Amino acid sequence: MRRVAIVGAGQTPYGEFPTLGVKELFAWAFKDMLHSVDKGIDPREIQLAYIGSLSAGSGFQLGQLAALLMGHVGLPHVPAIRVENACASGGFALYSAICAVASGKCDIALAGGIEKMRDVSSTKTKYWLGISGDTEFERLAGLTFAGIYALVASRYMHEFGLTREQLAKVAVKNHRHGAMNPKAQFRREITLEMAVAGAPVAYPLNIWDCCPTTDGAAVVLLCSEERAREFTDHPVYIIGYGAGTDYLAVQDRDCITSFKAARMAAQEAYKQAGVKPEDIDFAEVHDCFTIAEVVAYYDLGFCEKGEAGRLLDEEATSLGGRIPVNVSGGLKSKGHPIGATGCGQAYEVFNQLRGQAKNPERQIKNAEIGLSHNVGGSGGTATVFIYRREG
Amino acid sequence: MGAHISIPMYQRAVKQRYRLVGLKCLKCGKINFPPKAGCKYCGNFDQFEEAQLSGKGKVYSYTIIAGAGAPPEFSEEAAYRRFYPVVLVELDEGPRIVAQLVDVEKDQVEIGMPVELVIRRIYTEEDVIRYGYKFRPKKD
Ligand SMILES: [Zn+2]
Repeated sequence: MRRVAIVGAGQTPYGEFPTLGVKELFAWAFKDMLHSVDKGIDPREIQLAYIGSLSAGSGFQLGQLAALLMGHVGLPHVPAIRVENACASGGFALYSAICAVASGKCDIALAGGIEKMRDVSSTKTKYWLGISGDTEFERLAGLTFAGIYALVASRYMHEFGLTREQLAKVAVKNHRHGAMNPKAQFRREITLEMAVAGAPVAYPLNIWDCCPTTDGAAVVLLCSEERAREFTDHPVYIIGYGAGTDYLAVQDRDCITSFKAARMAAQEAYKQAGVKPEDIDFAEVHDCFTIAEVVAYYDLGFCEKGEAGRLLDEEATSLGGRIPVNVSGGLKSKGHPIGATGCGQAYEVFNQLRGQAKNPERQIKNAEIGLSHNVGGSGGTATVFIYRREG
Repeated sequence: MGAHISIPMYQRAVKQRYRLVGLKCLKCGKINFPPKAGCKYCGNFDQFEEAQLSGKGKVYSYTIIAGAGAPPEFSEEAAYRRFYPVVLVELDEGPRIVAQLVDVEKDQVEIGMPVELVIRRIYTEEDVIRYGYKFRPKKD
């Protein structure tokens, strides 16, 4: 397999865009990507595109979305494939595009993701967001994803003594990070007192434990190693990539305080990259709920089982800590336009590794290796990527 | 608007939902519930026999759903009751299943508490009542 580099990445700001449709949002991210290519690129060089989206089929009844979007940016004849793995749609679009370049099928591929979530009522949003679990069982018990993650949180607190305050520290940290990110949806800090006392959603989770609904798009331009230098002297290589899958329903899993799909994806990525968790300088992880970030610390090897609370108490995952997690603000504060999230994480890692985090306050110094982790549903699917700056 | 599942009358033929019938794998001896085409423990595809579960077990984890955490088809119930507990129960026979917990105050719910299965109303959609299993604290 060939080595694959990211030579460009773009992202819309995440938030609410009532005046823009999916085509305009996608074009915004696409244009942002073109501007990021140091030596420029003729978009007609793109040979294949994978675009992640959940609502296209289930919320808005749009078929063939990927071809529709590529046509809008003037590339109607680039083979385009829509990818759907719930909240990991973007991660799986990226995974698929990397595999296509690595295999030699093409030299230049686009991975993207998009979601327009603020156009429908919260009732409809809850309807279609809730269909990515094992609907027949979890939904009939009266659960949405908040409830399913709450089951994970209760069990985690029971087994490992995680406290309500420690959960809240994830939200406080990610809002502090997001406040510095010009592209984040909620650029405001919150206090620990607020985060503990939010309106209840699904005990032990309250409103501050939950990510928002978001409009947004992100795209990543991938290139074979042979051609990467045509476009930049500072490519970012994806040195490890892994994917994992599990039963969708937590009731079918032996362990619910760790996600096997994510552990599988991480192990595969670490093995391929030839690096260990302690070599990772920073990570973008899937914090759709605070407990999801807690679970990710162990799944990615950042701590021993059940030790995530201690990492938070030590502020090891805060900007300036041993392994900063979600300096972008994460899904919690940056926002979570479902299909875009996996590619938006890659956008953040690409910029951090190239020293282009925009705001110097939030630039991680001298980072060489980054990681991103994208989870579908409550651990039904997951991708993990490890990136290294070269040159 | 609810999840598009099969109509309630038809569902009554589904043994797992109304009578808690699982599938015992004849290769590894473990009980799969809900039944699957492939045994989740050993992958066996074709040697099973039906196994009636007792409906008794212990709470493995739980949540208390408040208004904003309820799916749309449960929002009426959430508004009326203000909250409802949902439990992940480990059945005495091994499988875990998720369902609502009834006949309980929210501060009485805890991990490890013994529970038993009851058939109750799940929700009403298009004027048709959907029934299914829930749990209640075990009565001796
Ligand atoms: Zn078996």
